[in-house]
Amino acid sequence: MSSQSNIALSNWLMANNVENISSVDEIYRYDRKQQQDMLAAKPWDKDPHFFKEIRISALALLKMVTHARSGGHLEVMGLLLGKVDANTMVVMDAFALPVEGTETRVNAQSQAYEYMTAYIESAKQARVNRLENAIGWYHSHPGYGCWLSGIDVSTQMLNQNFQEPFVAIVVDPVRTISAGKVCLGAFRTYPKGYKPPNEEPSEYQTIPLNKVEDFGVHCKQYYALEVSYFKSSLDRRLLDSLWNKYWVSTLSSSSLTTNADYTTGQVSDLSEKLEQAENSLGRAALVSSGVGVSGSSIEDRRSEDRLAKAARDATKTSIEALHGLLAQKWYHSKQTPNSNTNSTPDINRPDSTNWADPTPATSDIAFPIPAAAIVEIPSMLPTVKSM
Amino acid sequence: MDVEESNQNLNVMASSGATGSISVLLHPLVVMNISEHWTRVRAQEGKAQQVIGALIGQQKGRSLEIMNSFELVFAVIDNIVIDRDYYNTKEEQFKQVFSDMDFLGWYTTGDAPNESDIHVHKQICEINESPVILKLNPFTRNADLPVTMYESVIDLVNGEATMLFVELSYTLATEEAERIGVDHVARMASGDSAESSQVAEQLQAQHNAVKMLANRVRLILEYIRAMERGEVPKSHEVLREAKSLTHRLPVLNSEIFQEEYYTQYNDVLLQTYLASITKACHDLHQFVTKFNILCDRQGIMGRRMRGLFF
Repeated sequence: MSSQSNIALSNWLMANNVENISSVDEIYRYDRKQQQDMLAAKPWDKDPHFFKEIRISALALLKMVTHARSGGHLEVMGLLLGKVDANTMVVMDAFALPVEGTETRVNAQSQAYEYMTAYIESAKQARVNRLENAIGWYHSHPGYGCWLSGIDVSTQMLNQNFQEPFVAIVVDPVRTISAGKVCLGAFRTYPKGYKPPNEEPSEYQTIPLNKVEDFGVHCKQYYALEVSYFKSSLDRRLLDSLWNKYWVSTLSSSSLTTNADYTTGQVSDLSEKLEQAENSLGRAALVSSGVGVSGSSIEDRRSEDRLAKAARDATKTSIEALHGLLAQKWYHSKQTPNSNTNSTPDINRPDSTNWADPTPATSDIAFPIPAAAIVEIPSMLPTVKSM
Repeated sequence: MDVEESNQNLNVMASSGATGSISVLLHPLVVMNISEHWTRVRAQEGKAQQVIGALIGQQKGRSLEIMNSFELVFAVIDNIVIDRDYYNTKEEQFKQVFSDMDFLGWYTTGDAPNESDIHVHKQICEINESPVILKLNPFTRNADLPVTMYESVIDLVNGEATMLFVELSYTLATEEAERIGVDHVARMASGDSAESSQVAEQLQAQHNAVKMLANRVRLILEYIRAMERGEVPKSHEVLREAKSLTHRLPVLNSEIFQEEYYTQYNDVLLQTYLASITKACHDLHQFVTKFNILCDRQGIMGRRMRGLFF
C-alpha cells in the first residue's frame, strides 16, 4: 500500500510542479552573495592548511579522465570551475585548455590565458547558469603517478599567490586503467618557508626511477586534500541505467593487453631499483664490517628502505596484472562451457547452457584469487618499523 | 491544425528502411554533461526548464561518434530562437581544444519530439546540413536509459515537404578509462566509505557484471521454457536469435588462441613469482640484519660470538 501512496504522491508533486529540490542537488546552486562574502573574508590567508577536503562532481571527474586519456602519453592540462564551502573546495566542472604538454613551461602560454578568460566570460554572460569561478587547474601525469613535480609546485605557488582559492589536481589515466580504479590527487602548496607539522605521508605510490628525485625534493612542500565525489539525483538514475548497457564491456575489457607497455615499463623500472638497492647493500656490508654498530644501521636502513620500496612496487605491479588475469580467466572459462570447468552439468537439456548456476567456482579461477590475496594482504599490513 | 502536425512529427517510418542510415556511438560523458546542465539550471532557477545544447564529435562516413557537448543559449520569442553568436564563439573555442571534432547535432530535454523541436531543428540545419537530435527525459521512471536519438528527413505530407523525425538506434562507446570513471562514480554512495582492499573491489565489479549476465541468461532460458510449455506464443525471431547466440559460444578455441592465452597466463604468473621473490629477499634481509645486530651486541661485550650460529 505504501508504494501506491508513494506513486500517488510523486504524481501529485509532478502534476503541480512542486519542485522539491532534494538536498543532494542543493550543491548545484551557486549562491553569489555567499561566495563573495567568502572571497572578501579570505580565511585561507591565515591558515595554510585551511582547506582539508575537496568534493568533485561526477561530471568533472569524467571530463578530466577522458581528456587525460585522449592525450595518450602527453601531459594535458585544463581548468577547474567551482566554489568554496567552509573548509571544503567544491569542483563542479572542468574544461580542457589548448596547450601542448612539455613539462618545461612555468606559465601556460598566452593562448591558454585567452581561451581561459573567453570561456569563463562567455559562460557567465550567457544565460547558461554557469556562474562559478575558476577554482583550480588539473593536469595529467600519464604513467608516473599523482604528485606535483618541481615545476608544478612553483606554478601552484604562483597561482596560490594571485588566484586564491586555487587547487591543483593531478590525474593519471594509465594507472587508472591498470589498477581499475581512478588515480587522482588534489594538492595545495604551503607558502614558502612554512614548515608543516609532521604529518603522516599519504598513501604510498610507486614512482619511476627517473622521477623519484623530483618527487622527493618537493614532496614536503605541498599536502594532499581528501577527495570525495558527488553526483546529482538525475546523475544517479542515469548512471544506473548506463550500467544496464555497460556490464558487457566490464566483462569483455582486458586490461592486460591495453596496458601491456605500461606493465613492461614497470618491470624494467623495478629491475633498475633492485640494482640500486643491491649496490647500496654492498656498500652497507663493507661499511658495517669496519665501523661499529651505529654506522651500519643507518646505511642499512637506507638500503633496506630501497629494498622495501622495490618489494612494494613489485607487489603492486603483480597485483594489477593478476587482476587482469582474473578477468581474462573468468571470461575464457565462461566462453567454453563444454570444457570440464563447471561442476553443474545439465545434460538432459541440450539447448540450455551450463550457466544456470552462476557460481564460477572452478579450480582454475581459484588459483589466481589466493595468489592475488597472498601477494596483497602482507603488503597492506603496516610495515613494522624496526629498531 | 497544430495538433495534427505535432502528432505527425512522431512519424516513425518503417523500422528497417530509415534507421539504417547512420550508426551512432554515444559516449557516456555526453549523457552526464546533459544531466549536469539540467540539474544546474533546475537548482539555480528553482524549477525544471528545458535546456538546449550542441553535440560535437567525429564523423567517419556513415558512423557518428558523439564525444562531447556544450550548452547553447536560446531566447523564447514565440518559439525558441537559438543565439547564433554564442554558438559561434563556442565553436571557435572548442576548435582550439578539440581540433578534430565537428558539430554533429543538438540535444534537449523533454519527452517525445514535438513542434518546437522541429522549429529549433530548422535553425540548427542552417549551421550543419543534417544534424542529429538527442532527447533526454529526466522524469522517466523506468530503468532504461531515457535517451533517444533522432534524425530528420524531408517527406511529402499532404503535398508539402515537411520535416519529420525518425528514430535512430545508438550504442554506447566503451572506452576503458571512461568506463572505470563511470563505474567508480556509480558505485559510490553519497556517503563515501574508504575502500578496503583492491582485490575485493575488483571482484565486486566483476561480480556485478556476472550477476547481470546470469540474470539475462536466466531470462532467456525462462522464456524459451515457457514457449515450450505453450504459455507464450512461439516467436521464431527470438528462437533464431537464441540459437545463434548459443552457436557463437565456443568463440575462440583455436590453437593460436590457446598458445597466446597460456603465454599471457605464464607471463603474469612469472611476474607474481618475481614479486614474491623480491618480498622474500627483503624479509630475509631484514631478518639477517636484526640477527646480526643481536649477535654483534654480544660481540661488543665479549668478542666470542661472531657469526650466526655459535
